[in-house]
Amino acid sequence: MLTKKSATAATSARRLRGASARQLGHTMDRRAFLKRSGLGVGAGALATQLPYNFIGAADAAAPAGAARGEGKAEVRRTVCTHCSVGCASDAIVRNGVWVHQEPVFDSPINLGAHCAKGAALREHGHGEYRLKYPMKLVDGKYQKISWEQALNEVGDRLLKIRAESGSDAVYWIGSSKHNNEQAYLLRKFVSFWGTNNCDHQARICHSTTVAGVANTWGYGAMTNSYNDMQNAKAMLFIGSNAAEAHPVSLLHILHAKENGAKMIVVDPRFTRTAAKAHQYIRIRSGTDVPFLFGLLYHIFQNGWEDKQYIDDRVFGMDKIREEVLAKWTPDKVEEACGVPEDQMLLAARTMAENRPSTIVWCMGQTQHSIGNAMVRASCILQLALGNIGKAGGGANIFRGHDNVQGATDVGPNPDSLPGYYGLAAGSWKHWSSVWGVDYEWVKGRYASQELMEKSGITVSRWIDGVLENKDLIDQPAGNLRAVVYWGHAPNSQTRGAEMVEAMKKLDTLVVIDPYPSATAAMAAMVRKDGVYLLPACTQFETTGSATASNRSLQWREKVIEPLFESKPDHTIMYAFAKKFGWGEQFVKNIKVEKDAQGWDEPSMEDTLREINRGTWTIGYTGQSPERLKLHMKHMHTFDVKTLKAVGGPCDGEYFGLPWPCYGTPEMKHPGTPNLYDTSKHVMDGGGNFRANFGVEKDGVSLLAGAGSASKGADLQMGYPEFDHVLLKKLGWWGELTEAEKAAAEGKNWKTDPSGGIIRVTMKNHGCHPFGNAKARAVVWNFPDPVPQHREPIYSPRPDLVAKYPTHDDKLKFWRLPTLYKSMQEKVKDISKDYPLVMTSGRLVEYEGGGEETRSNPWLAELQQEMFAEVNPKDANDAGFRNGEYIWVESPTKAKLKVRAQVTQRVAPGTVFLPFHFSGWWQGKDMLEFYPAGAAPVVRGEAVNTATTYGYDSVTMMQETKTTLCRVSKA
Amino acid sequence: MSAKMMKRLPCAVLAVSALLGLSACSEVPQVSVYEQGQYRGKSDTRPWEGGEFKGDRAAWEKALKERSRGQNEYNRIQ
Amino acid sequence: MGRMKFLCDAERCIECNGCVTACKNEHEVPWGVNRRRVVTMNDGVPGERSISVACMHCSDAPCMAVCPTDCFYKTEDGVVLHDKDKCIGCGYCFYACPFGAPQFPNGPAAFGARGKMDKCTFCAGGPEADGSTAEYEKYGSNRLAQGKLPLCAEMCSTKALIAGDADVVANIFRERVLRRGGGAEVWGWDAAYGGGEQKRERKREGQS
Repeated sequence: MLTKKSATAATSARRLRGASARQLGHTMDRRAFLKRSGLGVGAGALATQLPYNFIGAADAAAPAGAARGEGKAEVRRTVCTHCSVGCASDAIVRNGVWVHQEPVFDSPINLGAHCAKGAALREHGHGEYRLKYPMKLVDGKYQKISWEQALNEVGDRLLKIRAESGSDAVYWIGSSKHNNEQAYLLRKFVSFWGTNNCDHQARICHSTTVAGVANTWGYGAMTNSYNDMQNAKAMLFIGSNAAEAHPVSLLHILHAKENGAKMIVVDPRFTRTAAKAHQYIRIRSGTDVPFLFGLLYHIFQNGWEDKQYIDDRVFGMDKIREEVLAKWTPDKVEEACGVPEDQMLLAARTMAENRPSTIVWCMGQTQHSIGNAMVRASCILQLALGNIGKAGGGANIFRGHDNVQGATDVGPNPDSLPGYYGLAAGSWKHWSSVWGVDYEWVKGRYASQELMEKSGITVSRWIDGVLENKDLIDQPAGNLRAVVYWGHAPNSQTRGAEMVEAMKKLDTLVVIDPYPSATAAMAAMVRKDGVYLLPACTQFETTGSATASNRSLQWREKVIEPLFESKPDHTIMYAFAKKFGWGEQFVKNIKVEKDAQGWDEPSMEDTLREINRGTWTIGYTGQSPERLKLHMKHMHTFDVKTLKAVGGPCDGEYFGLPWPCYGTPEMKHPGTPNLYDTSKHVMDGGGNFRANFGVEKDGVSLLAGAGSASKGADLQMGYPEFDHVLLKKLGWWGELTEAEKAAAEGKNWKTDPSGGIIRVTMKNHGCHPFGNAKARAVVWNFPDPVPQHREPIYSPRPDLVAKYPTHDDKLKFWRLPTLYKSMQEKVKDISKDYPLVMTSGRLVEYEGGGEETRSNPWLAELQQEMFAEVNPKDANDAGFRNGEYIWVESPTKAKLKVRAQVTQRVAPGTVFLPFHFSGWWQGKDMLEFYPAGAAPVVRGEAVNTATTYGYDSVTMMQETKTTLCRVSKA
Repeated sequence: MSAKMMKRLPCAVLAVSALLGLSACSEVPQVSVYEQGQYRGKSDTRPWEGGEFKGDRAAWEKALKERSRGQNEYNRIQ
Repeated sequence: MGRMKFLCDAERCIECNGCVTACKNEHEVPWGVNRRRVVTMNDGVPGERSISVACMHCSDAPCMAVCPTDCFYKTEDGVVLHDKDKCIGCGYCFYACPFGAPQFPNGPAAFGARGKMDKCTFCAGGPEADGSTAEYEKYGSNRLAQGKLPLCAEMCSTKALIAGDADVVANIFRERVLRRGGGAEVWGWDAAYGGGEQKRERKREGQS
């Protein structure tokens, strides 16, 4: 009974032990030192922050010596960087060494809990497999260079490209692992460079969610919180494996289950989350729309929809109802997704009879060529049940990276300035004034005003920016010539086989990362020079705020000084800004201090204050560094279920001031725990749906019905968003101070730099500055206003491709031609040769592309080999057994050599591969291509080496969850 | 110091087994009965003695009780 | 204070391995040695359950019974510890243990030389001065002497793994069982803490 998870673990453990011992080499001493340093850390210095800690005299009694360390033990409170739950952790530091990690029982989010990754955070203080100094590819090998040489050579090469081809020839891939301040600075950085060709992980994570959800009801974010799920009476997980991807969320989820909540999991794979569910429903990959509309069929048939709620707060539900009843009858649903009627009815009944019920989705729903339609179908289900804007209800969209929400909100997005302001001239003027620079100067940095206001290429397609025919690229600069990977894995993007071709063709490739190794190895495989690796430090070696999935911001203290020669990302940004000649403009409002090595480091506190001064749209204005730090110190005063502080210095505020936290910090908005919740006053975190799409459509009012405004609002009806005109009409203008009047004249609530319009609207009149409108079940500005099922480009069902074909091709879409129908037609019958659905997902031990976590021996030991889950039927048909090496080959002809995990976890016809591996290339270990000493402990085939073409029709999200493959014994 | 501790670390808690208990009768679960301790290693202090509690057993027990509250989320959720 | 115990609530364990890495982290346990593991039954099919397993610090510990050098001792709080200086790495304890807890750093070669046995200490160190370098290097942290509980349990992602005084642990678990109305099976408790002994006593009574 007591067997290891993997039958092959023992042998590979031996193999790996040898390998890692070799790699450890000269760094052994450091680890040995650290090991000795882990002593006697219960000391008195901790007592003020750790209420459960006891002051002791271990130090005094202990033998002296280097091993014990004589410095005081200090506690630095940080937040795990491995997912969006936002688990707080106390780092115990002695003599500058991170010697110990203690649980933060006080945190209302994780109550001390951690998964494998969070419990292994301290390994970041070892960092043996990190990039230790700048390196340059010389004749196919990475060589150490100085920072000075690196900054000069990289800077000169990029400036040369800019001079020759224009600013749009350089592509900047930012990061959701940057903190808010760094992500924000990077958007400013690329703007001053003069391009919108920038992006980060959110594109390939939840871009379809952000677009779909924001267009439905206002903001593109998780509506409630992990904590609020304790109020749910039923929970539907569709395309979310929370037990592996967001393990600590299960603390709240299983608590809810223990108290009676029903749990339904819908997934092609019987996940660890499914193992905890009351009902598990297996659907065919990529058929979320038929499934969700199949539920709605039963809801409408039985009259379970919330009619009053729909009348008051939803636009277009009648159209949905018609569509669902006509098109998604139980037989059609079963044909498309393979779920029989009785299971559908049971799930629909569970959701309807156990309200408030919530829905959770993740990448299983977003990463499709029709992801935008799928997420909207989820929204519509929740609107029909009246679950949005209710505690225990909501659309609980679990984000991925620790700060992917924040980087989406204020970071390097190709289609928007910070705060979803977009790229219109007015937005540029707003941000130029916040940055303290002249709008005309910024404009001058771009090739033209047109390009300044045009969305850039997305990270999912940068390879096409390099490989596509120059004349078909919708920018005068033509092809991309340089790419800067600034905290992003390459193996998380699809079509890896083509990516190395793109890397080969580039003039310059720069990687700035603590663990740049996957990119480095891929590039070294196909290039001799022109690649630079710059060591960034982790978030434990700097300070700043991160936004968890529930929109709460948490402030991290710096745990240790940057290891080796690494530098914080913002310090590197400023160094390049100076090199590019606009250092002064970059930090106009931000204090710059010298760090220990004499580098100039922009203040993170000042940067957050600048974010506060500009980001009115989504309420990133109230979270001053001072307020956030106060929350981190008084975590124990917050209620776990509501996230509200009961007494203490944060009384009445919600933990981490979840955005929107409107107005100035002085207005003391408490943050918003659950979006659109009319049962609360707006100054207590209440709200309603946003008026962002006009006031009427086709003669029907879009404003909310009478009596459906937030609690205590002076206007108990629907109303448009506030600007200076409306304020004057209502006779509220006089309530502004003279200074506010001067600032707010001619402005709306989003651009009034005084925050006066917001103050008067919210504080004096209890109204919502963004108006009070209906949510849109029909999003008329999307390709499919009513969500449609369309088969994936690579579908296993040619018969259904004929019935549910994909979109027409697009010629200019995010600056690139994008194929839909022509591609689908071309590969329509390819499932004859590639009969199995290939899908991918998470393992609890690893994160994202996995280089960081696979470099952590404590984690790497637990998952030592890349594998594919194959059903026994398919394994027997192909003639291999559990534990054997197999080839997984996709229609791109790329082949992956992986271990077979023969299991019923997947149905016959489906092959599942985890996406965290890299370092093998079609059967070969790439070790020789890594920079010396910086290869991760565990390497394996990257699933995305073999993934295929396919992009969402709104956001350019890549299709990873449904493509095709075949398997054979290796 | 160690001699004093030796006395404290006694027979009551230490045991040696009847090996037979393990081997035979399948109806008996894998639990054996020990008679008399014969520990031959170094002596150890009790947790409230050697560390920061300086022999204050009550304070140590209180600390552990407090600490164990962190393992029960119902303490913070109604 | 009574007796220290571990309890893993299978209804809550999600096999996240947080306990495993917490242990590695706290004691700098080397690659290949796992004082704690998570074991999954019915993997990938309905009924899948996971359990976190380490030394259970049994009431009547079989390892103590079989050790030829008598290197084991039990503390007043019921924690089973051993003296590595006396251990000869013979591996008998591994065969005796119903939980596979004892680990051998230089193993697992079947007939090769073994290192000294290493196992979960309930974060209570070993027979060296509390908090000393010698204790840390041989046995790892001594959290108990700092008034703290084993880190694996303190950091458990869903609070499935509970450690501490038997009564406190039982009370926490009882409250959950009451709320969910069932699912009270406590895996491994009989073997570790003498449910078996009670049965045996009942049996003896029956015989007499």
